[in-house]
Amino acid sequence: MATRQVKISQNYETIAWKWMRYSAILLIPLVFGHVLLQDVIVGVYEINADYVARRLGTWFFQAYDIALLGFAFAHGVNGLRQVLRDFIHNPKTFRLVSIALFIFWAAITAYGGIAIVMAVNAKLASL
Amino acid sequence: MQVTIDVFRFDPEKDQKPHFDQFVVEAEPVDRVLDLLEKIKDYHDGSLTFRRSCAHGVCGSDAMRINGVNRLACKVLVQDVGTRIKVEPILGLKVKRDLIVDMEPFFDHYKSVLPYFINDEAPPEKERLQSPEARERFDDTTKCILCAACTTSCPSFWSDSAYVGPAAIVNAHRFIFDDRDQGAAQRLEILNQQMGVWRCRTAFNCTEACPRDIHITQAIAEVKKAITSGKLD
Repeated sequence: MATRQVKISQNYETIAWKWMRYSAILLIPLVFGHVLLQDVIVGVYEINADYVARRLGTWFFQAYDIALLGFAFAHGVNGLRQVLRDFIHNPKTFRLVSIALFIFWAAITAYGGIAIVMAVNAKLASL
Repeated sequence: MQVTIDVFRFDPEKDQKPHFDQFVVEAEPVDRVLDLLEKIKDYHDGSLTFRRSCAHGVCGSDAMRINGVNRLACKVLVQDVGTRIKVEPILGLKVKRDLIVDMEPFFDHYKSVLPYFINDEAPPEKERLQSPEARERFDDTTKCILCAACTTSCPSFWSDSAYVGPAAIVNAHRFIFDDRDQGAAQRLEILNQQMGVWRCRTAFNCTEACPRDIHITQAIAEVKKAITSGKLD
């Protein structure tokens, strides 16, 4: 039996729904990797500013932590957006709130990303 | 045995706000809650108002909240709910009187998903044949009796009645996955909206409330998958 197919236009809701699923799949290895490294391999008592600086001195962990921040925060912000939908019934207001939340996510992720890269470089320079 | 039953009462012509009336009625363990309501109406208070029709779990008229859970009054036995029973109208729809709610918004959502067969091709001489396997694909969602127990148990519907609701999605599912039908794309576009399937939070209340045991949350997930993948099988 041939597979029946239809073409459905992808809108903001479709993308947001997919984002929640795909970002969750990516988050699982990122979060478990983070916990394994920090809590098991290194141990919480060994974590200090020098360790963080050395760890984030590699481009791999800079990218790793920026990805962890971006995906986890986006996941949370999109969840918040869904919760707010219960209280904001006007579609126009909700659209504005969605845009504001997206800007909020982008700004915090960019700020965090800059902090990870720049602050660590500054710390390494002082070592 | 004696059963104490608290019944939600509201007469818009007399009452400022709703209240509960308590009745004590004689009942057998195998009596249904609908039997108790009929006893109250016949022997205690003739003004009690509720919907009922077939009284055998087929017409879907008597959906109500029984001890906080959406049920059909004609399918719930006294022995399953105990001797203290609280009966309220289903939530999220305006109460017209006592246990009767305004079902129009519910049926408007139902109509919005085009719940009928769409195929503009000329019909064959005898009938549009379908394999047993193709029929099985949507068998579960053919069982819906439009009682509204699912939609009115849904937290997303409580928060915003513009949400199309589980019952409408179930009835869209019934036709979307019917290989004789050609309206799937239209229905999926309708459901691919903020107030369509994306309002479902998979709370599973609908699945638990369904008196026909339809796997509603699964049906909604299948519609979501059809929207994202474009595949109907």
